[in-house]
Amino acid sequence: MDEILRLSQISKTFPGVRALEDISFDLRRGEVHCLCGENGAGKSTLIKILSGAYQPDEGGRIFFNGAEVSLTPRTALEMGIHTIYQEHIVFDALDITENIFVGAEIARWGIPQRKEMREQTERVLHYLKSDLSPDMRMSDLTSGQQKIVEIAKALVFRSNVIILDEPTASFSSQEIETVLDIVKTLKEDGIGIIYISHHLDEVFEVGDRATVIRDGRKVSTYPIAGLTKSTLIKDMVGRDPSTFYKRERTPRGEVALEVRNVTGNGVRDISFKLHRGEVLGIAGMVGSGRSELMELLFGAAPLVYGDILIDGQPVRHKSPKDAIRNKMCFITEDRQNTGLFLTKTIAENVAVANMVNTREFVVRPADEFAVGEKYRQLLAIKAPDARTRAVNLSGGNQQKVVLGKWFNTGGEIFIFDEPSHGVDVGSKQEIYKVMVDLLKEDKAILMVSSDMPEVISMSDRVLVFRRGEVAGELIGEKITEENILTLSIGGTIE
Amino acid sequence: MNTHDTSNSTEPRKESLFKRYENLTVLSIFVSFVVIVVALQLITTGGSRFPTFISPVNIFNILQQVAVPGIIAVSMTMVMISGGIDLSVGMLASLVSIVVALGISEWGLGVGPAILVGVVSAIILETMMGFIISRTRIEPFIITLGGMISFQGIALLLCNSREVVMKGELSFLTANLIGGAKDPVTGLDLRMPPYVLLFFAIALIGGLTLKFTKFGRRIYAVGTNQRAAFLSGIDVKNMRLAVYVIQGLLVGIGATLLLARINTGIITLGQNLEIDTIAMVVIGGTALSGGRGNIVGTLIGVLFLGSIANAMNMLRLPSEVQFLAKGLVVVIAVSAGDISSRISEFRALKRDQADAQAAAAERMKGGSAQGGAQSDMQKSSA
Repeated sequence: MDEILRLSQISKTFPGVRALEDISFDLRRGEVHCLCGENGAGKSTLIKILSGAYQPDEGGRIFFNGAEVSLTPRTALEMGIHTIYQEHIVFDALDITENIFVGAEIARWGIPQRKEMREQTERVLHYLKSDLSPDMRMSDLTSGQQKIVEIAKALVFRSNVIILDEPTASFSSQEIETVLDIVKTLKEDGIGIIYISHHLDEVFEVGDRATVIRDGRKVSTYPIAGLTKSTLIKDMVGRDPSTFYKRERTPRGEVALEVRNVTGNGVRDISFKLHRGEVLGIAGMVGSGRSELMELLFGAAPLVYGDILIDGQPVRHKSPKDAIRNKMCFITEDRQNTGLFLTKTIAENVAVANMVNTREFVVRPADEFAVGEKYRQLLAIKAPDARTRAVNLSGGNQQKVVLGKWFNTGGEIFIFDEPSHGVDVGSKQEIYKVMVDLLKEDKAILMVSSDMPEVISMSDRVLVFRRGEVAGELIGEKITEENILTLSIGGTIE
Repeated sequence: MNTHDTSNSTEPRKESLFKRYENLTVLSIFVSFVVIVVALQLITTGGSRFPTFISPVNIFNILQQVAVPGIIAVSMTMVMISGGIDLSVGMLASLVSIVVALGISEWGLGVGPAILVGVVSAIILETMMGFIISRTRIEPFIITLGGMISFQGIALLLCNSREVVMKGELSFLTANLIGGAKDPVTGLDLRMPPYVLLFFAIALIGGLTLKFTKFGRRIYAVGTNQRAAFLSGIDVKNMRLAVYVIQGLLVGIGATLLLARINTGIITLGQNLEIDTIAMVVIGGTALSGGRGNIVGTLIGVLFLGSIANAMNMLRLPSEVQFLAKGLVVVIAVSAGDISSRISEFRALKRDQADAQAAAAERMKGGSAQGGAQSDMQKSSA
């Protein structure tokens, strides 16, 4: 038992949210310890504590090689704790050597020693059995190769612990193999590895132990040997469904949207029917192609193959303009960057999407203000009047402004991508109520969500996505956390 | 578990007066500038003479000087609100003036057709740049820089690097509309040529377009957030193209007016015009990043920059100082807006800190008493 890192009773509170509660965790030399949990279980927060980016709440203790330490980004690196995040942090215009040594150049008399840095880089790349050359430019590499460079960077500077956050997300299967081989090599050299992945296959292939986190709490720690996937999944799920939002059921009407063999933008061969008066939930892991499909349907990405029918009529959406004219609405996930005009007023935001439906060239600010006021009151947006700028509103109220923008177009088919992302609990309930009101008006809702309780409580049916395809459809009683998770990580249900 | 919403409360944040009324900052600087110049004039003359800076004849003078850059500043405002920029306007104006002058004095086109050829070529050239800008990801800065250099080349080729002198064929554009009118203060003749009125008309149309048409609103939307604009059904590409087409029209008109004033088509005619117009627009509060600005602000910027050179002359400062003064004004006017918003942010932070401290003190009190947490909960539910 050669313990290198131990966390004891770590909690982390953000204003209004308890992200982690009383987590204890340990890592041994030459071990791959996997962290498992759903989206939002608290894995990322834990990593940020280990990399020193966040400080734990009082009472939490961290031991490194048996001695108590406090971690800052600097001390973490000094101890050889390297975190490789899901998103690449690379300098595209620089080559591999420069990327590895950026900010820590080997220099004599202030002159960078390129040759020496290059040699070290080459040695590490060779050790990783990679055929990359130190002189290759970062922008010419695939994301799999960039990941290898990041691992190489951790190795050039003495490493004791390497944290890999979703290292294989959106990789080809060959790249996944390469990364897993590297993990095995590192492990044999006595480096402790914390491995986070949504893909349980990978967990079972490289892991020695697995710790499951749910809602910020540790559920269990198991040795991988003798462990089954279903045990792990049962631990990852297991919320009490009776605490979920109780949605009012609405009668199902005609088919509003039909999708046949839609392919493109990273998704393949998707077919389904969406009825009026129903919520079709789209579940799956982040990166499984859910939002990409929505972009296709909305005309924001080119359709390669397949048909889209609205109310039985085939349509072609060359741009979102066509989709809006065909009564579609798209409440995007990232409302600040793709939904709102932050520096503009509520009234201006509400008016913008409906412009494709009006013929008048002239806009009357008084009319615009009146419409803005109507939706401000209808949706109970907390602002003195519709002249308030969107940037000054809270997340939940911003989301309501986006809803107002779409209601104003008179749309009938609503795409909600993560409807309650970054929204406080009160606003969440209000948004759900608004969604049910839409159903009562015989509208149809396609809802992408990573929030399990949301998917389960709001959906009439659920399509589970995995790697750009539909892994299965769940109806009624079958819509459970366990079934959704099983399908989204490549399992089958009876 | 989302932490990027910095404010925890659902109440909207308050804004300072200066932020709410965007043009207030620059207007107040401009007014203080006028007050300073007038005060200096009064001091130097011991208060014995009317300050000539604000005499009608001088104000009419300033208007004649700023009319052409002002016209171009209107379309530059639109370009910049959409998130673009145009460095080529100066050289394009020179090119157009040479084309029109050649058309009249050498090609024998007649005045009307010559002007038409000049304006249409400006529109075509700007449209070409706008097409590249809206269809690729290349920075407008680079494309219009390339445009600026190549327009200079075309202009020099056309005129064989010589000036094209006319015989006053365009003098109808500079005629005095109020001939015989005298300044009641100085007794000098007042001049009001038609192009000054044209400037006001264009500014009015530009301002109304931006504020009261779907087209104008969409320019703001594209400049604020291109992706959101696209997903809201706006044809982002054609909007970005359209502002350059308008720019071409107004540069064509502006160049013709410049030519009418100077009576000679020459490569230096549009020199520094891009710098002056961009400075005017920026002083007027239009953001280089797009989405923000308006014509009223630009008008203030136009008058402000125009009066600086004039005031320097009045105060008998050497003309070299003008460049320095112009530069300083751009920096001061633009940073003033930023400074005022920083001050209000700082105040908001102090207020939040005080609130947080009060809340913490409250919690400490509650925690020491039995059942403090419970009474807190009751309080919040009440």
